[in-house]
Amino acid sequence: MLVFAASDKGGTGRSVTSANLAYQRALTGDHVAYVDFDFGSPTAAAVFDVPGAMRGTEERGLHSYLEGEVAEPARIDVWRQTEHPLLRARPNQSGRLVLFPGDAGGGEFAIGEESLQRCIDLLLRLNGEFDVTVVDLSAGRSYAVDMVLAATAHPRMRNVPFRWLVFHRWTRQHVIAASGLVHADHGIIGGGVERGHDKEALEAAIRFVRAAVPDPESPLWSQGSPAQAAWMQACDEALRRLAAEHAIGDSVVLGIVPLEPILQWREQLITEEDVLATQIANKETLEALEEIARRLTDDAHWGRP
Amino acid sequence: MAPRESTRTPRAVLACGEIRTCLLPARQALDIRAAAQLLALRADERALTSERPGLYARSSDTLTGVDCPLPSANGARVRAVGTVAARAALTEGRVLQTSARFHLPATGPDRRRPWGEYLVRPGVVEPLGKLPHEAVAQGVLGGGRTGDLDAGLIAEGLLTRLLRHPLLDQRPPFRSRPTRLRWAALPAAPGEGFRLERFTLAEDELRTVRLRVPEDTPAAGLAALCEDLALHDWLLTTVVRMLDGVRLGTGAARDTGAVVRTLRPAVDHLLHLWMPRARVSPELAALWDPLEERPGFTRQWRTLVQRIRDQLTLHAIPTPHQEVEPVP
Repeated sequence: MLVFAASDKGGTGRSVTSANLAYQRALTGDHVAYVDFDFGSPTAAAVFDVPGAMRGTEERGLHSYLEGEVAEPARIDVWRQTEHPLLRARPNQSGRLVLFPGDAGGGEFAIGEESLQRCIDLLLRLNGEFDVTVVDLSAGRSYAVDMVLAATAHPRMRNVPFRWLVFHRWTRQHVIAASGLVHADHGIIGGGVERGHDKEALEAAIRFVRAAVPDPESPLWSQGSPAQAAWMQACDEALRRLAAEHAIGDSVVLGIVPLEPILQWREQLITEEDVLATQIANKETLEALEEIARRLTDDAHWGRP
Repeated sequence: MAPRESTRTPRAVLACGEIRTCLLPARQALDIRAAAQLLALRADERALTSERPGLYARSSDTLTGVDCPLPSANGARVRAVGTVAARAALTEGRVLQTSARFHLPATGPDRRRPWGEYLVRPGVVEPLGKLPHEAVAQGVLGGGRTGDLDAGLIAEGLLTRLLRHPLLDQRPPFRSRPTRLRWAALPAAPGEGFRLERFTLAEDELRTVRLRVPEDTPAAGLAALCEDLALHDWLLTTVVRMLDGVRLGTGAARDTGAVVRTLRPAVDHLLHLWMPRARVSPELAALWDPLEERPGFTRQWRTLVQRIRDQLTLHAIPTPHQEVEPVP
């Protein structure tokens, strides 16, 4: 299963959340690849805490691979090479978690036919090797989005299942932008159809993840005034209506990640330890991530809306 | 009259190569005709096929011209020119291997010759000057620097080309990892025979093999031996990982289907492939012996096969034992 992580804007927590989903899947025993196609600003090294392992991969990353400069992209075994003390102790029965880093300083680039073929080669090989492959795409209608749309429409990939997760924050602008990314004329669906995708099938393979959503019920806000609570409730309602009007309502939402300081500030994986021992992360956040990770492959959540 | 220096075939003091082994990404194994079609790398030559003792197809050699430094463990920069031979093989229509190899004479001319003179000696790479063969062998096995001669790149290129073939539907029957095997064969002491000096599992998917062989042992035969080792090592690795992924015991008893689903591909696609030495020349076949003794490839394989059969038998029986198991 290939999972493409997209977002219209930066700062939606796309990278950190999709990395956490990859981590959660690996904990359940799946072999997971995390592919950093965020060419503008590769952040995966920080999220998985592998800065040391990144040294020496600057010219062997995905960028160099797609441009044909190296035959195989660098891979980093997260359990083995992370500097995060908790991740180092790879849990028993967990699957492999392998990061395919981008190049340091590799910007966006136009795709030619040969890079597209190489992209297909890579995705096919990863699909043969890993249970789940999470592909983190640069924000917006980027070359990375174009490339994987073209790749997945290619006859060689006709038998490879894929799904899209579109991350957005829970604000007016972000809701409208996320809807535009998917539904606008040259959005993911429009662009996909241009490249040979079936409209309905592609639509059915896209779900949304609302990130950094303040939960009015959360104890975090219980200190607020009644007026504040009522106002939050009303805003939340209005946003739901807005989302529904823009065709990204609850029926196409795979999950909601609460507003979580650790995701916003530290941009790291949330471990059980963070919740239980040091209590710097909220239990609800971890549960939300576990649930979304589970739903990734649960067909009940991928029926036609 | 003695042959001119430039055309005499020099004696090889080092042969090396690299092999990639992976599962063919196709739902059904290829039959022998389809296999020959996949491996028809050159229009003028057909793939070699055989059906005894198992289905096997092998492409003819393709040549890649090289002119680059050799990897070396002591930092010596020796430039070498010549051709690397590569071929692909498919076992039982299921396991795909690509293999690149070259051999090197002890010395070469100080300057590059006309290209035609290299082309007449396929698979020979000639050093400019003297070859520090021990250091180069170590360099090859340890992996060189970017830009050094790398048989692995050539094997990888051939593999990529084959995996794009329209015959493949890209639906592998199970998840598996490709392996890489690097090998180097150094000359044995005078009077000594063939010897397997070392077989190592480095990193996760890299294996290295170091051999001692009498001078002038053909590199193609050595490559065939190493392809055989790589195939069987891949089988062991793959089946071990498959069993690793199965959660056994009481906790897993709730989902017996999962065990059968995980192990079934081994029965369908792999268990009948074990046939060490089948494609190895008789004098090289003895190189398998140390591996059979320790760690004991075939012994481990038999144990794995037995475990798989036992698990499948267990799960074929309705499970009354669940009722008497103590509740934790």
